[in-house]
Amino acid sequence: MSAPMGIGLKFNKINFLSLCIGLFSLTIGVLNGIEVDDFFTSDHTNNWAVLVDTSRFWFNYRHVANVLSIYRSVKRLGIPDSHIILMVADDMACNPRNPRPATVFNNVNEQINVYGDDVEVDYRGYEVTVENFIRVLTGRLPPSTPRSKRLLTDEHSNILVYMTGHGGDGFLKFQDAEEISSVELADAFEQMWQKKRYHEAFFMIDTCQAESMFLKFYSPNILAVASSKVGEDSLSHHVDPAIGVYVIDRYTYYALEFLENVQPNSKKTMGQFFRVCPKSQCVSTVAFRTDLYPKDPNKVLITDFFGSVRNVELLTETISFKNLSMQDTCSKESCVETSSPKSSQQLKYADQFPMPT
Amino acid sequence: MAALLRKPVDSIVFRVFLCFSLPFQLKCTINDTFSEELYIKSLERGHVLNHFQFTTIWNASIEDETTFLHYRYFPKALGDVLATYRVQELHLSQTQGQWNYEHWGYPPEDAPPGVELWVWFQPQSNNLDHMWAELVNALSGLFCASLNFMDTKTTVMPRWSFRPSGIAAEYYSFDSRFMRFAALPREIVCTENLTPWEKLLPCESQVGLASLFNAVRLYDSSFHSLGLHFRPVCQDGSCTSAGIELKQTLTVVFNTAMANRGKVKDHQNWSLKSMFERSLHNTCPLASESKLYVDTSIHPAPKTALDPSPDEVLITRRGGERRMYSVYDLKNHTSGGRTFNLQAGYSGPVVYGDVTPPPLYAQRFVTGYGLEKGGITCILYNTLDTNLTVIYMETIPWYLRIYFSSIKIEAYGIPVKPYKTHFIPGKDRSQPYQLELVFRLRPLSVTKISMEFDRAFLKWTEYPPDANHGFYVNSAVISAVLPSGSQYTAVPQSGSLFRDSLSDNSGQFFLRLHTESLLVSLPTPDFSMPYNVICLACTVVAIAFGSLHNLTTRSLAAVDPEKTKKNPLQRLKAFLHGRKSQEKSSQEVKGEVVDEDGADKSVENDENKSSGDTGDSVRKRTVTVKDVTEDVSSS
Repeated sequence: MSAPMGIGLKFNKINFLSLCIGLFSLTIGVLNGIEVDDFFTSDHTNNWAVLVDTSRFWFNYRHVANVLSIYRSVKRLGIPDSHIILMVADDMACNPRNPRPATVFNNVNEQINVYGDDVEVDYRGYEVTVENFIRVLTGRLPPSTPRSKRLLTDEHSNILVYMTGHGGDGFLKFQDAEEISSVELADAFEQMWQKKRYHEAFFMIDTCQAESMFLKFYSPNILAVASSKVGEDSLSHHVDPAIGVYVIDRYTYYALEFLENVQPNSKKTMGQFFRVCPKSQCVSTVAFRTDLYPKDPNKVLITDFFGSVRNVELLTETISFKNLSMQDTCSKESCVETSSPKSSQQLKYADQFPMPT
Repeated sequence: MAALLRKPVDSIVFRVFLCFSLPFQLKCTINDTFSEELYIKSLERGHVLNHFQFTTIWNASIEDETTFLHYRYFPKALGDVLATYRVQELHLSQTQGQWNYEHWGYPPEDAPPGVELWVWFQPQSNNLDHMWAELVNALSGLFCASLNFMDTKTTVMPRWSFRPSGIAAEYYSFDSRFMRFAALPREIVCTENLTPWEKLLPCESQVGLASLFNAVRLYDSSFHSLGLHFRPVCQDGSCTSAGIELKQTLTVVFNTAMANRGKVKDHQNWSLKSMFERSLHNTCPLASESKLYVDTSIHPAPKTALDPSPDEVLITRRGGERRMYSVYDLKNHTSGGRTFNLQAGYSGPVVYGDVTPPPLYAQRFVTGYGLEKGGITCILYNTLDTNLTVIYMETIPWYLRIYFSSIKIEAYGIPVKPYKTHFIPGKDRSQPYQLELVFRLRPLSVTKISMEFDRAFLKWTEYPPDANHGFYVNSAVISAVLPSGSQYTAVPQSGSLFRDSLSDNSGQFFLRLHTESLLVSLPTPDFSMPYNVICLACTVVAIAFGSLHNLTTRSLAAVDPEKTKKNPLQRLKAFLHGRKSQEKSSQEVKGEVVDEDGADKSVENDENKSSGDTGDSVRKRTVTVKDVTEDVSSS
């Protein structure tokens, strides 16, 4: 504490300490190429994703391909299955009409099987309803709901909500039987905000007239992007003649192209993501909403929403483990050779056919 | 699943490490063994059955509270669920396709299309309905299947059909209040169900037989079934202490003759590589044994040539039927980094001829026409030359209202009287129809059971989103004890590993068959939107717009009734109206309603029509057309 800075000793210490920390972090930042902005703005501790496909029937194959493509990207960028709620309204992969069983492709070249080998669908078939979706978002699920079907977020979670299906001005159709309106969705987000269930949310929607779904939002910290403006239809991209249906929607196709180039340590920003599908490619105009979001999207990393926070501590020295033996690992009571209580009577198998033959 | 997030290879390494670090013992306090077996049987007509069995046998008792606190090979995710809900036995199967009994014989584990779950709870449990509801929710999260639809509308307690398959006291096994049975025929099984099921295995799908699981091939098959069976068993032959057995089975039937179309036409040649697109590189190090059994009883050598040649060939008899098994010890064949790809070549093409059917098989179908009534008929074939007692169980949803009086069993026109009957009628929206019949099939006979039902109207909110697809009815379950082991491949009740079925000396074989599930249409309202819109719009136009138009575009014009020419009808009307209007005051201006179109006419000859008001003098006032329109436009 030799810096002759002036007023009081205590003040000196604090000042000097803070200066040291600042310089240190700046050096580290400069050394690692991280911008100082990033270091201070990323303040969420976990990432969740809610991916919803609301369409049923074989001709809506592309909606399932949409949601599975985003699922795949999100898993690849680090969000684990336990933090992803995947809702798929119909089964395309093992559908009897699928000429390639157990696969869902999002491209006519059929290179990537977005269904994959390691997929866990949390809500499927008839379970994908407006009620279940709102309950998942707001956390008001019956007590018997298993963990994998719950959105266990807290106030430091960043959530990605992706919805795809058929929609219109102010509504999104669920399974051809019911609709969720934009007002309901806005209220659901407000409930989440009131219950401190998210830190920041990114809402992405790929339907016709998708913009109408986020126009009614009024909760803070939501960033939203939609594949089309009110009055416009979102179009599908191309047909796979071998499967016989459209396999992907335009917006998700180009969004996926962008995401395939993103790695977990990528520095791409949300601002770049918003510019992903210009009108020349998408035919519909991509709309986004940033007024509810306090930060500049051009400074927010895409992995803040699509990737997962992983706290990594690097160790440089080797740690050796000592040989374990059972005596070391169990407590005194359980280590005693417990002879299972020998019942006095003879146990026997139940009679499978309780009728005289 | 949160519990299984650790990197699989690390967990295997840790487990291996833990195991090998134990001194030779002094029994491990957690004493469980794991074994993996694969049974391949070439079936008639070009199909090949592959049955994987992963068995974990644990020398612990389910009644002991400390059992489910420490785990080794037994999966913790499942153990937690079983302990929380005090489950004694659990049998879950998820299947795609229908097992073809007539041509393929009997499967090692029988399963209906869709999902079937039956559970026996421990005797001390109470409030079982609540436990069942929570258990199905927990399992739906564990297996990524919508098992939460197994509520009271689909759950039954069969009285005789599903006895516990493990150790049970007699008073317990006869009390079906401790068990629950439900099936969802609509439920699909796909990679999303295979993934969590695989993660319960000690070696997951990284090494061992589970590394052959290639979803793209498994779901492109004639029959695919995932099974999970948990039950208490005897620890040893003397059966004085109880143990736990967890059996995970995967049964898949490939049509290899079809697959060979391009290459070796009509031959059933198969290999592990051609069926799974993968060869076996290693076995699970945690498995105490890893064996492959090829059943060549139907096509014995030299008709079938196996390469590499088997380690051992077992010729046994099961219930009188001669069996030939070629046994491979996979640990030897994959040691030292070798790859094992079993190939089988057949000397002749597949013969699509008559196949010896199994002793008992059945067919079930919907009868009737229209959307008001219908019927279900099940035909049972007994190809043995002895009497056979069967238990026939049906679970019919409440919206197909079965008439108990219409249930008929007959064989060649002669009615068969059931030995026992158990029928619980369904209650709308709360309970399905439950039927169990015990009757005897005559030797070499065809017996037909039929019943009739009425189709119910559901409330419009109760229809599923794809209501026009129809509604599924569970498979019927037929239980019997066969005196002959013909085409019987299941593991005996007292055995655990598949190996125990090879040396089965019993004379009686318990069989459970599942028939086809049915698809029934209910009277469905037309949910199509254009239809509703057109109806509504036309109604609105016709009633509302028409009346409004009339009211707003017609004007009142007074007409002198004296000057109008009257025809007889009008004179009659005038007479009648005249009687009525005697009481009305004379100051009222009475006029006639003049149509806009007809205004011209009335201006010309306003004496033609009369509104019928006669008598009192009326000051004639005609309103011109121009005024009418001005009035209308301004209002």
